[in-house]
Amino acid sequence: MAKLCIGLFSGSLDKLTATGVVLSGAAADDMDVEVFVLLQGARAFIKGNENKIDNLAEATHLKEEFMNSLEKLNVSTWYDFFSMAKEMTNVKVHICSLAGKIWGGEKLDDFNDLVDDLCGIGEYLTAAEQADIHMFI
Amino acid sequence: MTQEDLQTLQVDRTVDARGTACPGPLLEAKKAIGTISSGEIMEVLSADEGTKRDVPKWAGKKGHEYLGTVEESGYFKIYLKKG
Repeated sequence: MAKLCIGLFSGSLDKLTATGVVLSGAAADDMDVEVFVLLQGARAFIKGNENKIDNLAEATHLKEEFMNSLEKLNVSTWYDFFSMAKEMTNVKVHICSLAGKIWGGEKLDDFNDLVDDLCGIGEYLTAAEQADIHMFI
Repeated sequence: MTQEDLQTLQVDRTVDARGTACPGPLLEAKKAIGTISSGEIMEVLSADEGTKRDVPKWAGKKGHEYLGTVEESGYFKIYLKKG
């Protein structure tokens, strides 16, 4: 089974959605996935923040067009993409402990249900070294 | 298979994924194929261009047989035989 490793640095709606689409493809393919959530990304995973994320990283001036299109095309929310992928294949979501702290998350309980554990940077690099595919988003 | 063969196939499971864009149809196909038995036929209805190439490739990787695609007006039907 192919292994996919994602470094999710961005906590913006567009990049979270992109990550969700990639996760869905990985789920269809039964891949083993490890997502390492870094710096800005961790903010989205703090409990209760999942619906508060509304900024874009790219083409920010086209936000309205982007949001309207997602709705029209019936695209899942980033949270639902993650949730679905976790149901369908082996997806582990690790929060970098420094990133968590930056946004006020010290313990696993401070994060939403998508999160499996908190980890250090060494684990991320080891996973990236062992993966067949590595993405940094 | 010819278009005529495909049109007259006895289908065991139909997945209507016309309401979703990529990656919706692929996910729905993946979920549905788990509900049929080896040798049974599944058709996937989609209007998403990406799906037209994704589903046959995915099927090949997973050991299912891609039988062909039939174009309808505004959507298409992809036929697979579960491996």
